[in-house]
Amino acid sequence: MTETVTPKTVGMATSETVAPETTGVSTDDTATDDVDTIGPKTADVHRAPAPIPFHRLLAVETRKLFDTRSGKIMTGTLVALTLASVIGRGVVSGPQLHALVGAAGIGFGTLLPVLGILTVTGEWSHRTALTTFALEPRRRRVLAAKCLPPLITAVFASLFAMLVAVPVTAVVAGVQGVPATWEIDPLALLGWTGTGVLVVAEGLAVGTLLLNAPVAIVICLSTPVLWSVVRGLGTTGEVLAEWFDLNTTTDALMSGAMTGGDAARLAVSMIFWIVIPMTAGVVRTVRKEVT
Amino acid sequence: MIEFHHVSKVYRGVKVLDDVSFAVEPGSVTGFIGPNGAGKSTALRILTGLSRATSGSATVLGGPYAELDCPASQVGTLLDAGAQHPGRTGREILTLGAMTLGLPRSRVGEVLDLVGLTARESRRTFGGYSLGMKQRLGIGHALLGRPRVLILDEPANGLDPQGIRWMRGLLRDLSDSGCAVLLSSHLLHEVEQVADHIVMIGRGRVLAQGAVDELGQGRSLEQTFLELTASTDRSAA
Repeated sequence: MTETVTPKTVGMATSETVAPETTGVSTDDTATDDVDTIGPKTADVHRAPAPIPFHRLLAVETRKLFDTRSGKIMTGTLVALTLASVIGRGVVSGPQLHALVGAAGIGFGTLLPVLGILTVTGEWSHRTALTTFALEPRRRRVLAAKCLPPLITAVFASLFAMLVAVPVTAVVAGVQGVPATWEIDPLALLGWTGTGVLVVAEGLAVGTLLLNAPVAIVICLSTPVLWSVVRGLGTTGEVLAEWFDLNTTTDALMSGAMTGGDAARLAVSMIFWIVIPMTAGVVRTVRKEVT
Repeated sequence: MIEFHHVSKVYRGVKVLDDVSFAVEPGSVTGFIGPNGAGKSTALRILTGLSRATSGSATVLGGPYAELDCPASQVGTLLDAGAQHPGRTGREILTLGAMTLGLPRSRVGEVLDLVGLTARESRRTFGGYSLGMKQRLGIGHALLGRPRVLILDEPANGLDPQGIRWMRGLLRDLSDSGCAVLLSSHLLHEVEQVADHIVMIGRGRVLAQGAVDELGQGRSLEQTFLELTASTDRSAA
């Protein structure tokens, strides 16, 4: 090759025609064909790159909940377990709408907090935090976008349980030949839904603090047992459980008849299980070295 | 476009980086080379705001990475090709990135073509990818937003010779179009043919830096590299 080659034509030449010692840019065809799609944008576009809006982060984090195999299995299990427990309760205790809706809570109490825990710990166990926080370095916003979808899922799960319970009640009444009981207590259902949301929030908070899924899951799921032990320790234990056990303090919420004292106890247990661990967890996540 | 100003980092009592200073200019490819454990990844994580410097500062496009508006649309990064959820497909990983940056979904297909992953491969889960495929996907992810600055940590690791040649061409095209590219490697051969500038690092200290032809100074670059790193190599400790 005698004539000088500009960088642009070098790429078009086949590798045999490029003298290797003059240039390190001998390329195959793929790279140079695509200058249009790799090259930087024009200066205009660069002048004002808009910060990532929160709704976009929310959409991405919601998608991440369901786009993996484990996410899909989790959702499928939640749906199947809801159906099974509502139908099972209907067959066993007859067509009582309120009881049937509540039956779905058994599955929710375990699966929803686990969903919350996995959401906030997943980025660390799979080291995807490296990508996520490089895309959006404002980590508090990412955390907020991560916490909302499981909380909303808890509300939707409750609505789904209600939606399923209605036809099941009707069918059970028809099959068993018994009149259906349609009475529901709207306040109690609202409290029940709220409890589901709080339990997810507990999972999110403990998960964010510990950043370790197995430990967080064990803590969240074993607390009812631990509190029954504490309660057995005598008056002091009972008082402690009354104020700090989220499962106990939400009983009043689920009954739909809260007193001022109940609200105070609920608030204290929420501070202890949700506000404190979440605050500490956010501080930890923001400061954490991502490796 | 990239500047390290006297960056030092003490991590768990160990001085991982010691007064690191260098710059990467637009339209150039800088190779950041050093043996494993020399502090290359730590420096790149500090540059991208994922880790904090104990003293000194690292800036990109005139400011700290984390303070740029939507930094990933201007600065493409590949920090660890293996750090993805194994249950997500390659296409899904790129889709999440494109969504975050507000890019049209068509960009995912463009990038897949660009890095040579087929539609079929893109629908397989990441857990089943070879290291070479992971690197291609990671490079594609870094290029999603058509960045002006590219930061790649060990991008050639696991690429076959054909892949390495492809990457060289790609990086050359990018720097020709005005991009600043900083890539790290522990293998000199991968870097010397594509880089204009070399920054050599060992045990957290910059041992030498300059244009590739200057650093050679008649001797092969490799000799320089081996001599400079010999005293800092772990085997020599």
